[in-house]
Amino acid sequence: MTDFATVTPEEYSKVCDFLYRRTGMLFTEAKRYYVQRRVSERMAFLKIASFPTYYAYLRSDVDREIEQFINALTVNETYFYREEHQLRCLSSDLLNERVRSKARGAALRIWSVPCATGEEPYSIAMWLLENWPEVDVQDVEIVGSDIDTACLTAAREGEFGQRALMRLSPGLIGKYFVPTGESRWRIVEDLRGSVQFTSANLTDGAQMRAHGRFDVVFCRNVLIYFDDASRRLAAENLFECLVPGGFICLGHTESMSRISPLFEVRRFADAIVYQRPSEGPSEGTHG
Amino acid sequence: MPLVRRPHAPAEAPAVPHSLTEGTAEQRWSAVRAAAERPDGVPRLAAALAQESDPRVREAIFNGLARAATAESAAAVVPYVRSEDAALRTAALDALRAMPAASGPHLPGLLADPDPDVRLLSCELLRNMPESDANRLLIGLLDRETEKNVAAAAIEVLAEIGRSEALPVLARAAQRFADDPFLAFSIKLAADRIGRS
Amino acid sequence: MAETAGKRILIVDDANLVRRFYREALERAGFEVDEALNGVEALEKVLAASYDLALVDVNMPQMDGLTFIRALRREAPPISSLPCIVISTEAHDHDKAAARTAGANFYLVKPVGQDLLVEHVAIMCGLPA
Repeated sequence: MTDFATVTPEEYSKVCDFLYRRTGMLFTEAKRYYVQRRVSERMAFLKIASFPTYYAYLRSDVDREIEQFINALTVNETYFYREEHQLRCLSSDLLNERVRSKARGAALRIWSVPCATGEEPYSIAMWLLENWPEVDVQDVEIVGSDIDTACLTAAREGEFGQRALMRLSPGLIGKYFVPTGESRWRIVEDLRGSVQFTSANLTDGAQMRAHGRFDVVFCRNVLIYFDDASRRLAAENLFECLVPGGFICLGHTESMSRISPLFEVRRFADAIVYQRPSEGPSEGTHG
Repeated sequence: MPLVRRPHAPAEAPAVPHSLTEGTAEQRWSAVRAAAERPDGVPRLAAALAQESDPRVREAIFNGLARAATAESAAAVVPYVRSEDAALRTAALDALRAMPAASGPHLPGLLADPDPDVRLLSCELLRNMPESDANRLLIGLLDRETEKNVAAAAIEVLAEIGRSEALPVLARAAQRFADDPFLAFSIKLAADRIGRS
Repeated sequence: MAETAGKRILIVDDANLVRRFYREALERAGFEVDEALNGVEALEKVLAASYDLALVDVNMPQMDGLTFIRALRREAPPISSLPCIVISTEAHDHDKAAARTAGANFYLVKPVGQDLLVEHVAIMCGLPA
C-alpha cells in the first residue's frame, strides 16, 4: 500500500501541471494535500505501486482515469439548485438578453444536456418560476436530454431523495414536491409535465440537430472528460444547436479554453458563459 | 404555468449537402460537417481546406480530418503546420494533436525538418504519443539541435513525459547551452521532474 | 520595488517553463503575476480581472496570440486597451508586422532574458526607469 508521503513535491507538480493543461483546473499550494491524498488513493485502488506508472496511466486516460481522479477531488454530486450562480445569471441576464432578440410570441428554449436524473432541468424550471418575473408572459420550453435511458426514465418519474433536495428551502419543497415515502419526494405533476426528456448523444450530429435550436444550453461536467476529437465534435454540435446569440454554460471547473475556440466569452455578474456569435461569419460567397 | 412543452418532433432534416466551396459560410459549414460524417469525406475536405478562409469553416474541416484519423487525413493537415498564418498553424496542430496515431508516422520527418519553426511546433505533438517513442524522438532531436527555441520546446515536453533515459542528453544540452539562462533553468527543472522515472 | 507593487501582469503562453521563468523574474521585481495557456483562457482572465499588461505568445492551442489580441481590441474599454507585448519565437518581419496589425504594442523575440523582460514590462507599465 503506497503511503501518500511518498508522492514527492515534484511528482505533485507534475500531476497539477498535467491537470491544468488538460482541464484548466488550477491546484494551488492550498490544495496540495488533497491532490496528494487523491493520488495515493487512486494508486492504492488501482494497485499501482510506483508513481511513474500511475502518472503514465493518468496521462493516457486509461479507463477514464482523469474523470475518476477529478470526481474524487471535486465531489461531483448532482442536486437541485447546484451552481446557483448560473441560475442567477440565467434569470438576471441571459434570458433578458435573449428576449430582446426574439420574435414576439416565440418561446425561449432551454436545454439541459446531459440531464442525468433530471435535477438540472427541474431546477431550471423551478428557479424561473420563482425568480424570473417575465415567466408569466414569456413561453419557456425546457428540454432535458441524456445518453443514458435509465436516467431518463428516472427523470420522467421525478422522484428524489433527501440529498438531492438539500439546497432547497422547506417552502420550495412544499410547493413543488409531494412526499412519496421514506425520505422521498416527487416533483408535482404540473412541473413534471412541463419538462420534456429525450435521448441525445453529444457526439451524434443527427441526434443533436433533431432537437432544434436553443437560446440557452447547460452542458455541465461532461465535455472536459471527452478526448480531443470528441470534445471538438460535441462543441460543433452544440454550436449548431444554439440560435445565433444563444448561450452555453459549462460546469464551474470547466472552460471552453480546453474545448473549442468556436464560442465567444461573455462575462456577467454571476458567471462566465459562452455565446454563439449573433451574426455568423461573413455571409459572403466564396470561390 | 407558461412552461410549455412541445412534443418531440425532430427538426426537419437539412437539405442535401451543398458544395463545400460555394455558397455562404453558413452553408459551407453545414456541407463540411455533412461531408465529415461520410467515409469518403477526406479527399473532399482536404480539397476544400486549400480554398477556405473562414475560420469557423476551416475549423470544421480540420475537425473532420482529425476525426477521420487516417494516414490520408493526417497527410492533408501536416503542410499547414508551415503556414505563415498563426491561426492556421494553431488549427493544424490542434487537428494533429487530436489524431496521435495517424500523426505519429509524420513526426520523425517533422522533427528533422530544416525549418526550425516546424521542428519547434512538432515537439508539442509528442505529449500525446506513447512515452517510449516520444522520449526516443526528443532525445534524438535534442542531441543534434542547435536552435535554442527548438531545444526549449523539446525540454518543455520532456519536463512532462521525460524518462530516465533522457537524463544524459539533458546533461549534454546543459553543457551546450550553458550561456542561456532560460535553457539552464528549463533543463534543471526537467531533470528534477524526471526524478525517479 | 514600491512602484511595481500592485501592477498585474498576465503571462499568456502554452509552455509551462516559459511561464515559470517569466513569473520568477516578474515576481522578483515586485509584480503580481497571473497566467493563461491559450488565447481563450486569456480572454476569460481579462474579462474577470484587471491587468496592467499582457505578455502574449503566438503559437498556442485553440486560439493563437494574435487572434487573442484582435478579440481583446474588440472588447469594451478599458479591457480593449490592455497593453500587449508579443513574445514569440517567430522572428521574421512579416510576423512582427502581423502582430502590429493585430494590435500588439510591442514585440520581443524569444529567448528573452529576465532582465530585458522586466525592463520592457516596467516601461510598458509606465514605471520610472
